[in-house]
Amino acid sequence: MPDTLIDYLQRAGHRPDGGIRFLDRAERDTWFGWAEIRERALTVCGGLRDLGIARGERVALVFPTGLEFFEAFFGILLAGAVPVPLYPPVRLGRLDEYFRRTARMLEVTRARLVLADARVRRILGEAIALARPPLGCRTVEEVRGEGGEAVWTDPSDLALVQFSSGTTVEPKPVALSHRALVAQTEILNVCLPDTGEVRHSAVSWLPLYHDMGLIGCVFPALSREASLTLLGPELFVARPALWLRALSRWQATISPAPNFAYNLCLTRVSDADMEGADLSNWRIALNGAEAVSPSVLRAFSERFARWGFRPEAMTPVYGLSEAALAVTFSDLSRPFRSVRFEREGLAREGLALEVEDGREIVSVGRPLPGFGLEIRSDDGRVLPPGRVGRVWIQGPSLMEGYLDAPEATARALQDGWLDTGDLGFLRGGELFLTGRAKDVIILRGRNYAPEEIERSLEGVPGVRTGCAVAASWLPEDADGERLVLFVEEARNATPRQLEALPEACREAVLGAIGLAVDEVVVLEPGTLPRTSSGKLRRQEALRLWLADELLPPEPVTPLRIAGAMARSGLAYARYRWSRDD
Amino acid sequence: MMDTIILEGIAQVAHEHLGWQGPLTADMRLVEDLRLDSVRLLTLAAEVENRFRVLLDEADELAIETVGDLVAIVRRKLGA
Repeated sequence: MPDTLIDYLQRAGHRPDGGIRFLDRAERDTWFGWAEIRERALTVCGGLRDLGIARGERVALVFPTGLEFFEAFFGILLAGAVPVPLYPPVRLGRLDEYFRRTARMLEVTRARLVLADARVRRILGEAIALARPPLGCRTVEEVRGEGGEAVWTDPSDLALVQFSSGTTVEPKPVALSHRALVAQTEILNVCLPDTGEVRHSAVSWLPLYHDMGLIGCVFPALSREASLTLLGPELFVARPALWLRALSRWQATISPAPNFAYNLCLTRVSDADMEGADLSNWRIALNGAEAVSPSVLRAFSERFARWGFRPEAMTPVYGLSEAALAVTFSDLSRPFRSVRFEREGLAREGLALEVEDGREIVSVGRPLPGFGLEIRSDDGRVLPPGRVGRVWIQGPSLMEGYLDAPEATARALQDGWLDTGDLGFLRGGELFLTGRAKDVIILRGRNYAPEEIERSLEGVPGVRTGCAVAASWLPEDADGERLVLFVEEARNATPRQLEALPEACREAVLGAIGLAVDEVVVLEPGTLPRTSSGKLRRQEALRLWLADELLPPEPVTPLRIAGAMARSGLAYARYRWSRDD
Repeated sequence: MMDTIILEGIAQVAHEHLGWQGPLTADMRLVEDLRLDSVRLLTLAAEVENRFRVLLDEADELAIETVGDLVAIVRRKLGA
């Protein structure tokens, strides 16, 4: 029984089957067997050891999807070091922010060395200059040495550090051991077994610095000596049809993606793109990493049925990087299931009452083998089915903790249980998610810390200093989560500043983080709810706003009420104006 | 002359693939004025490459902030 990722690689490296196929923009494919990937990784391992990289040290890697990522990733592991995959710059994106984030991630993980693609390295200079990793930034070819030997690795050694969210303000590098990653891989294999009829193979466009791409696709393929077809996320985003055509061409059975990807196929894949495609081999279309929208699932299943897409393939799942990846799976043999619940009961009393015409929520299924799941109240009591509370989980693939952050770790992990920060309830043993208690924004499958977004609003003229919060939620019938800013106006803001405020906020967030804001809500000073210690309460602000109860502080005279109403009318008009353009 | 043609081509890409309504001018900034987030920036890059049959590389992209920058790079790539 393998204990580490290295055991998987050594085993696959001695067998003839399986490997990775890379697709390029012209849909040409290049194939590398696991044995060749292992051989190449061993030369990187040798080079890293010559450089003096020691067991347990962190090495960052910044590569687009391609062979070099795997040479570097497995080379680092074979050398006993800990890979920290970081994302390459976005095309045409603003680089100053990218440099700051990358530098921050390098500092927080104390990376000794950065391995990068030659082209990425050319533009990474500024981040390297900021963070000054002791061994600098090198390409795979510069590092490559004689075929090295694998360093002995214990299952409790760290095998991966990945960023959950908050890369600039409060970075949360999730540290996962070999044991956790092997446990997660084995669980996925048990849930998706090969049978006499089906030998699973996957297609993925997911970034390799993302848990669903790396842990969900690469490790299971490696552990089963299966084949895996990869295309880069930038190719998928530009041409979503490439994903579906790859599934058809290679008769792949498994492919995971966040909700937005299914929606992107609906809007950007034409019938002509799909000519001759056959999606009938696709048995498991995992849908996770962000809130699952029932309307998108339905529309995707209906539209692509023409090309053989099986309705039962659509499989909503739940997971988080702190648990390595997956925690629950819905039934693989049935179409997705959704239930309607009374809105008032959910919103006000935390009670899930099934009704004909209520809020539709998709089931994300049952805990995977080996996982425990409890719904707890804020004071830690275990709640009965049908009561909304915080989702706590226990299982064999939980993180060791946030890297070098004992306080954040102690808040999240208690007595072997992880507070996911997500809100939901159980019904018939299945998990239904209703929202989040933790302050994290999830858009397009990626997590963002609200602090980062809020910080970009500092200095926007007319914003009351430190009095802006960001939140996201999935509106009913929407195709994905929406990003909203609640911004208090400064007391001395001029009418001109106020008029420009929503637009200025959008610009600031786009410029700094690259996120498009869906709504900007301008509030009177003092409107945002705070804790007794004065900290802003984001989820409470969102809850109040959704219930139309986010109101200015107690007015004291009729005159002030009239003033407040006029101002809020004005704010509303401004907000409408900003939405309509 | 060439710049006008390229600008028109980019404007068409923006209409068709990014849902941009209204005129597109060279001084517009991609992020602030066109409001392109990361997914849409990727789409723009890929569609401009397709339309003009050019390949932008990372070094080019460093310098691109406005529509006009993009026009200039495409012109250079086309050798015009």
